[in-house]
Amino acid sequence: MVSVAFLNPLSDKAEQIVRDIGDLSKIYDKNSDLIHAVDTSKSQSMSDNQNIPENYVELAIKRMEWYIKKKNDKNYNYKDYAFLFNREITRFDVVAFFILAQAIGIKFNSNSRESKLFVDLQGNIIEERLEELSISERRDVCQKILDELILQDNVKWTFLEEILSSKKISLHELILDKGEIILDKEDFLERFSDKISHRNPERMYELLIGDPVKELIMIKMIMQKTEDYVKKVNEMSQKVEPHPYLLEVGEKISKILSENIKYYTTSHGGMKGFKLNSEAFPPCIKLTLNGVESGNRNDAIVLLLTSFLSYARLYPSIFRDNVSVKISDVDPELKITQNEILPLIYDAAQRCNPPLFDDDPQEKLNITAKLGFGVHELPEIKNEGESKWYTPMSCDKIKIHLPALCKPDKTCKKIGNPLSYYKSKSWQLNKQGDNKEKSSKDKDKNNVDKSKSDQDNVNKVINPSPDKSVKNTKEADTLNGSDFN
Amino acid sequence: MNEPATLQERRRYYREEWNVKKLPDFIKEGMEQREFGFDHLGKGPNDRYRIFRSLEYLKRFMRYKSPFAAYCSVAFYDKPFKRADWIKSELIFDVDAKDIPIRTCMCDNVCEVCLGEAKEIVSGLIDTLKGDLGLKDIHVIYSGRGYHLRVLDETVMKMDSDIRAQILKYLVGSEVPRSEYGTEGEKYQLEHFSIPFGYPKVFTQRFKYAVLHLTPNIEMENISPALFKKVLKNRTYLLTDEWGLFRKNIGPINYKKLVKEIGALNMGLVDAKVSIDLKRILRLPTSLHSKVSMKCMEVQNIEKFDPFKEAVPKFVYERDD
Ligand code: SF4
Ligand SMILES: [Zn+2]
Repeated sequence: MVSVAFLNPLSDKAEQIVRDIGDLSKIYDKNSDLIHAVDTSKSQSMSDNQNIPENYVELAIKRMEWYIKKKNDKNYNYKDYAFLFNREITRFDVVAFFILAQAIGIKFNSNSRESKLFVDLQGNIIEERLEELSISERRDVCQKILDELILQDNVKWTFLEEILSSKKISLHELILDKGEIILDKEDFLERFSDKISHRNPERMYELLIGDPVKELIMIKMIMQKTEDYVKKVNEMSQKVEPHPYLLEVGEKISKILSENIKYYTTSHGGMKGFKLNSEAFPPCIKLTLNGVESGNRNDAIVLLLTSFLSYARLYPSIFRDNVSVKISDVDPELKITQNEILPLIYDAAQRCNPPLFDDDPQEKLNITAKLGFGVHELPEIKNEGESKWYTPMSCDKIKIHLPALCKPDKTCKKIGNPLSYYKSKSWQLNKQGDNKEKSSKDKDKNNVDKSKSDQDNVNKVINPSPDKSVKNTKEADTLNGSDFN
Repeated sequence: MNEPATLQERRRYYREEWNVKKLPDFIKEGMEQREFGFDHLGKGPNDRYRIFRSLEYLKRFMRYKSPFAAYCSVAFYDKPFKRADWIKSELIFDVDAKDIPIRTCMCDNVCEVCLGEAKEIVSGLIDTLKGDLGLKDIHVIYSGRGYHLRVLDETVMKMDSDIRAQILKYLVGSEVPRSEYGTEGEKYQLEHFSIPFGYPKVFTQRFKYAVLHLTPNIEMENISPALFKKVLKNRTYLLTDEWGLFRKNIGPINYKKLVKEIGALNMGLVDAKVSIDLKRILRLPTSLHSKVSMKCMEVQNIEKFDPFKEAVPKFVYERDD
């Protein structure tokens, strides 16, 4: 029998375990039961002693390390971490979970990439652990956990508000009836059997709902709970003096994360930052840079342009690399952010009609927030992580929020996000540039020309010829919205 | 549609016909937490940030100013006069007859036909709001050129724009349901029309409505003229729900294309910007839509509602022409 605590470290069972072990002062002690559980894990590789955690803290760190390696390391080997998927490890794992959650909650903000990584890690570890179970065990434990998580018989879809809002699940993927999410087989048959003809209702249940949807909801709910827990710790830690051991673990986490992320991202060149090439901007961004009319103005500058320019300049491969970075990883003293990126954003903001900051000076704070530095006048290192560094919204979203700005061209057909447009177009342009260079005899001169034309492009962005500025709103203001029916 | 209302007519309307007590209860309750906005000259609502602490103040204001148009926020604030300290917002679906992507009338503004179609669409949305999403406290407002669905169910009023966008997509049927399902490695084909509940059913209904209302003037980017013809020729199968035949006759690959295209078109059934905007102002029920000389009003029974009987103010009947 597999314990619910193996999957849900926030279950009553798990809390019981933690209470029994209790004492924080022992988390650095060598633990022979733990070592034994690790040693006897199926397919665990023993080649390297480094792989074997000897106490709770080491186990906690191993959990983080596993996830970073798995996500980024081409040479990741499951066997190095097989013990994480051994159910015999449950009672140690739960403690390690709490050590991590508390250390992270104390040291980092709840929107920080450290917290986010931890939540993702928890979701991932559950998925992999499920794979290790037999079908009947899997079904059984999932049902138990759901029963505990969902106290009332039926879940209302509104109960999943946060999960829906964070796009972990889409509304249309759930089977809804009278406001409730249908998960249970009996319930399904009772409601829909009459309506189904020519097909076997039970089979239909298996296909449409069955285990996968239940597991998905279970995992997402535990992730949400984990996130909430870290947040709670974060709030508490402002009032209560944290245990020094936990502070120490926080330091360790911070260190392995920044080392690893630097290592993996620079190793394939994602992390240097690139000069902006305005020729490669997609149509929506070009329009925004020319200044936007009041209807779309605030969203275009704060939501679209801010994240687009910051990522295009600092980390255009964010979607490919799928890592969580912060601005200071690429721009440690925020020089690029302050001297290059912000001026471009502010400039476009003031070119709007009416100028953005004249009406809405507080939008400056929102811009800072979208870069990951909380609600402050300007980005400062000490505030980093108070909010998220927002990635640019997808074309789909732009088409809803800012339809007037989306004027797709040929390149748009191949992409789903303005940033991917930028990457693909800059690559194309570079290639063309290279070809030209090859065919030209006077290489040096060409290089000079090229950098000059880069400069021109930036100038073009900063001073667009007024006749080209496009008026592109026809309708009401979103933020100051109104209905002209 | 009627001629615009003159200032004289507006004055008559607000003094003789309009009654502040007739404001719907959902507006009266908590009125002091809403922002009001007015358009005095017919150039858009630029008199904003107004608040009214009692019905009496609003009554005097309307009598005295007889505005071209009156609006109030869908949001409730602690400080409505600054549009600050947001508390919650109604969930809104705005169906404007003029903007419906598929209309059979081909008029260039609104007419009885497209208003009727708007009504039909709104009824469908209400069914889904109640039946699938289990929401209550839903109000239908005739806006003068279409309908506003205003949901004041407490369970959704605090939701953010992202969820509102998802609800919208669910209601209008813009996401194509998957047609492949599988358990333990096996894949099964299951088209939306063979799933008579949940979102696939909603999608089936919206798809059917759209195909049955297609007119030759509608442009669909990825549908060739030949395919379009085929669709029109075979759509009668949908009247009798012979989906299998419909799909077979136009061909499975074409069917896939069509489904995708209709999903995209459906996104235009409702003005998405209104639904995701937490701070929008909407035309005030009972007020006059001066451009078309009609009353904006709450509709009690959408099936029976006829705007040309119920939403025409008296002064229109007394006009000379
Ligand atoms: S398709 Fe995307 S990148 Fe192209 S203009 Fe539209 S929003 Fe911008
Ligand atoms: Zn019409």
